[in-house]
Amino acid sequence: MALRRGAGLAAFERHKADIQSYATLSESLTRQSLDALEVQLDHFRMTLQRFASSHREDIKKDPEFRAQFQQMCISIGVDPLAGPQKGGWWAEMLGMGDWQYELGVQIVDVCVGTRDKNGGMIDMRELLRLLNKLRGIAVLEGKESSTPGAVTEEDVLRSIKTLKPLGAGYEIIHIGSRKMVRSIVKELDMDQAKVLEIAESVGGKVWAELVAEAAGWPVDRAVAALENMLLRDGSCWIDDQDPEASAVYWVISVLEWE
Amino acid sequence: MGSRKLQTHIAPSGYKLPSIHAFPPFFCFQPAAKTRVSQDDQWVQLILSYARFRRLFTLTVDDAEKTGSDWEEVLINERINRRLTKQQVRTLLQMLVARGQATYEPPRQDDSVLLYWRKPGEWAEVLHSWAVSTGQLNTIMTFYEIQAPSLPSELSDIPTPLLKRAIDILTKTNRAQIIESGEGDGVRFFAGS
Repeated sequence: MALRRGAGLAAFERHKADIQSYATLSESLTRQSLDALEVQLDHFRMTLQRFASSHREDIKKDPEFRAQFQQMCISIGVDPLAGPQKGGWWAEMLGMGDWQYELGVQIVDVCVGTRDKNGGMIDMRELLRLLNKLRGIAVLEGKESSTPGAVTEEDVLRSIKTLKPLGAGYEIIHIGSRKMVRSIVKELDMDQAKVLEIAESVGGKVWAELVAEAAGWPVDRAVAALENMLLRDGSCWIDDQDPEASAVYWVISVLEWE
Repeated sequence: MGSRKLQTHIAPSGYKLPSIHAFPPFFCFQPAAKTRVSQDDQWVQLILSYARFRRLFTLTVDDAEKTGSDWEEVLINERINRRLTKQQVRTLLQMLVARGQATYEPPRQDDSVLLYWRKPGEWAEVLHSWAVSTGQLNTIMTFYEIQAPSLPSELSDIPTPLLKRAIDILTKTNRAQIIESGEGDGVRFFAGS
């Protein structure tokens, strides 16, 4: 350990000198790395454009691929829908000019991107919030129609109609007082709809006995409906540490996330 | 009653816990495969980001169910009265190791891991840049000088096994050389190509 620094006056002076030379050095390093970063970003943007035009078909066809592509764009600060042209950079690259259709693409992206979390059923308000966030528009909940440039519920309803001929299976479902957008091609069975309605009225947390009583079902039927939602649809999460019941189910689409 | 909003929370350490941490089922491993993948991703992300925030290098099974541990804020949520069991933490350790985000340390046990919130390769680069920028090339340094430098650095308190791994990586590209001595190992850095 003879190499360790001493503690005398010389060491103190050396320490001061160290600090100074670090400062000079760090300044020049920062400048260098900033320059290098800018060149890299430019290069990356160009590569991304080339990638977008050569994979145009895949991006249009495959929603998962598109979601990933979009995420890539966002992470380097390129908004595929923004740009000088009407319809933006995306339109230029992919030849999709129609605003309505683009909104459709974003709806698909949000629905696919949140599917693991909500089982393919998203609350309209949450969808609007995410769409406007995606577009970088700050908007208060429920104030969409009075905010310039914000996507409104009517826009979403129209876009979903536009998507219908594509057979994507997007549909608006009314659960109690709420509108949900369903993006899974699957019949929502009646029992499941009932469970959603009950969950909605109690704030998202349900268990078999509670559902059975509210729906007037035998407990077994409630268990079956809940287990279907848990295991088949992935539309709820189970909790085994709740004091109210040994198995408590949280219906994802009824919850709001900060 | 309407919907329930799950909120983020600023822990006493200043770390902002994500809203999923306030979601009671997050503390119960999910039986549906796809849901479980999403849950696993979020646990891994939370653990690594918390470790980075607090510069924690190890996570052990004993950190579970224990108040006062470095990991208490993450492994226990008092506000919703949920906690991970030791067995669950063991499962998370397995997953972190399987994903290359941690390694069992010491080897050949499954109670404790060294976390890679930076991969050894990234640590190697941090180490080398530090040696260059502080003018330490071509001189012999002790591990102690790296782990407790006079000016705190990103490498302060780096555990020895991780430091050794980073130096090993630099050795392969001729940017470092281990100097063995009776008093403890040292290392010499080179500019490299």
